Amino acid sequence: MKLSKSISRRESLKWIGVAGLSAAFGAYVRPAWAGSANGRVVVVGGGFGGATAAKYLKRLAPSLDVTLIEPQTRYITCPFTNLYLGGVRAFETLWHDYTELREVYGVRVVHQLAEDVDADRRVVKLADGEVLTWDRLILSPGIDLRWDALEGYDESASERAPHAWKPGAQSRLLRQQLEAMEDGGTFILVAPDNPYRCPPGPYERVSMVAHYCKTHKPRSKILLLDSKDAFSKQDLFTEGWKANYGDMIEWVGRSQDGRVLRVDADRLEVETEFGTVHKADVLNVVPPQKAGIIADRAGVSDASGWAPIKARTFESRQVPGVYVIGDATEAAPMPKSGFLANVQAKMTVQAVMADLAGQPAPEPSWANTCYSLITPEWGITVAGVYEVYDDVLREVPGSGGVSPLDASAVFRRQEADFARGWYAGIAQDVWGTRSSS
Amino acid sequence: MTGNRSRRRDRVPGARLSFGRVVVATMVSVLLLGAGNATAARAPWERVEVIQELLNGAEPQRDAIQLDLPAVTQDGSSVAVTVDIESPMTQDDHVERLYLFALGNPSPELLEVRFTPLSGRAGISTRIRLDSSQTVVALARTSDGDWLADVRDVRVTVSGCLSRDDTYASEDLMQTRVRVPPNFERGESAEVRTLIQHPMETGLRTDASDRPIPENIVRSFEAHLDGAPVVTARLHRAIAANPFLLFHVAPERSGELSLSWEEDTGDKAQVTAAVRVD
Amino acid sequence: MFDTLRPRHFFVIGLPLFVLCVTAGLLLAGDSEPADQAETLPDAVESGDAEGRVPLDSRAEIIAMSCAACHGTDGRKATAIPALAGKPAPVLEALLLAYKRDQMPDATVMPRLAKGYTDEELASVAEYFSALSPE
Repeated sequence: MKLSKSISRRESLKWIGVAGLSAAFGAYVRPAWAGSANGRVVVVGGGFGGATAAKYLKRLAPSLDVTLIEPQTRYITCPFTNLYLGGVRAFETLWHDYTELREVYGVRVVHQLAEDVDADRRVVKLADGEVLTWDRLILSPGIDLRWDALEGYDESASERAPHAWKPGAQSRLLRQQLEAMEDGGTFILVAPDNPYRCPPGPYERVSMVAHYCKTHKPRSKILLLDSKDAFSKQDLFTEGWKANYGDMIEWVGRSQDGRVLRVDADRLEVETEFGTVHKADVLNVVPPQKAGIIADRAGVSDASGWAPIKARTFESRQVPGVYVIGDATEAAPMPKSGFLANVQAKMTVQAVMADLAGQPAPEPSWANTCYSLITPEWGITVAGVYEVYDDVLREVPGSGGVSPLDASAVFRRQEADFARGWYAGIAQDVWGTRSSS
Repeated sequence: MTGNRSRRRDRVPGARLSFGRVVVATMVSVLLLGAGNATAARAPWERVEVIQELLNGAEPQRDAIQLDLPAVTQDGSSVAVTVDIESPMTQDDHVERLYLFALGNPSPELLEVRFTPLSGRAGISTRIRLDSSQTVVALARTSDGDWLADVRDVRVTVSGCLSRDDTYASEDLMQTRVRVPPNFERGESAEVRTLIQHPMETGLRTDASDRPIPENIVRSFEAHLDGAPVVTARLHRAIAANPFLLFHVAPERSGELSLSWEEDTGDKAQVTAAVRVD
Repeated sequence: MFDTLRPRHFFVIGLPLFVLCVTAGLLLAGDSEPADQAETLPDAVESGDAEGRVPLDSRAEIIAMSCAACHGTDGRKATAIPALAGKPAPVLEALLLAYKRDQMPDATVMPRLAKGYTDEELASVAEYFSALSPE
């Protein structure tokens, strides 16, 4: 088999340019068990992880009975909400629905909140009282905010000082506050310690806020108070901020007293570890996070707040038969990105199918690219390829890394174009939405 | 130093002979007797040389000390650690010393802290460097000579989304930050946060032209209240850059808290802060 | 086995071809339909081996699943990022190898990704996408 493959390749090298030849060989055939997998799989959460899992389960094993549980009929992505905040993208372009999952792939989509999981009885209980049974359960619940973690920052405080870290009304509120801010105002973003959803997210957000202010409120000031001393793509962000926004953005790391411990949402004030009080005109607090609440109910999350998983399959380490994917997992060194939730879903789908067929899971492989925009024409990336090594996840040695410093404007522009291409591509892959790029 | 201290963990300090304690004590005794040879039952961390020397055959208790640090960390260059030890912190009965070790680091020593009854609470927070996934150990000795221990395994990964800036501005070297509560209740412990700007060069790095960068660290910290020691600490090279140390003080009256750091070059930084007791 | 083709052979045979590939790749990327083709259920990928075909290792498909996160399901989405489905395998393979070996001076993220796979894996992924119909 291997030999014939290699001959094919030589042939193909000889015949390069002869279009259509490749179709003559290499027709791909999946292992026999895969397509005939039977059983009931319930997927909780219709975001990048869950919607992908439901779609790929039906694509790869049409005979499976697949139910997707997601309370929203319209899903709004976290990626690119920063572009909406910066005024460079309409909010509606971030909306996706489940029509294609339902109609093209035959996924049963239930718009209900999953309230509880009983792993012993293998059931999920929905808010309306319906009880769904499953043979395998995939949880992709995303994050919940830890309202108790930052003194003074609870759900009601977020009505004054939005987090906008779960998109929707919070994103609109923050955008409205930004629009209402006077020229010369101070925008403060409070960034959490690791781990949290979308490591470069806070830094892209201040970039997009600066992009908006540069045109509309050029005397404004943007202060980023950080609980960390280092952050994702730091050198690239720092370079991009300076080149595009001069001194408008000031980042204060933990050792420079950037760690906020107390929030006074009514006064729009924050107090740091060493007692410095900062006053904002618009206050955006990104609080510490944990796995979505259903992870607790299902018993898959641990004291860290996140769900430990087996590296090869993403089956819960704590509850057999329950798989967890996406931001809710403790899957370091993988970052909590929509891209990885999508790829984790596909790998986990294969593990679930294999398990249902009584087969070992195939060797998984995950790639990730996190795009961030510093301006609409200045994109930067960090990428990585991941594998299982010694039963733990690791980045494939020699792979991955960030965009180069001192790159040309053409290069930055191209990564910005690719960022938009990525969004269109992944949205299509997850929801089948034919978004324009 | 009377009771009623505020604590994060309520462990019924008054109930010296509660049913639970008797049961636990009995179980522990049975286990120890059953084990016969104590060393055979010891965990691997107890056989690490530096720890063995300290313990000198003693059997550490595991229930009154809590070591908190994340089970997984994406950034081994700065890992938050908190140790809290249950103790009345009176002249007769207090925690004297606390040792922190990272067993998988090139050298295991992290920090050594001496408490006094004036600390009010035997607890600290700091940030450490972890070279790789490994075991972190907190060992404490009480004024009675008893040993306490707690152990945590930590998995260290380097996130693909984190890039580390390894340069430090030199203009604010040895600059300090201190946060003291605006007021204290008499005899009640409250936390003091401190930080000093310092790269904490480990001596294990090389510069751009591949020459080793010599070790250069802040090696000690002292806090005195009107001349009386509150805590003193010996810092090792695996304390994270810009050493952060949170400790407690339980003042009986208003006074002046004096804090000092000493670099291995002998250079010192000093700062004072008013302590107001209502 | 593929190693017999390189590194020496790559430069003797591969490099001139490579230039050709790049040209071809750009042409292919350029003529892609933007955005709006309707997605259909996969037809090139079949389950079962009833016709006696020998199954290839599923490795190619597993790796290709990551590609879909930018290039769309089955590599059929064309944006600033080109579609992959139905492109000639030799072109795709030469491009992937060139990325991996840093022979594409203006490349952005692909060299960092391509370095995560063996040459064999890249070749099998190229074949996998080439076998898929573009629509």
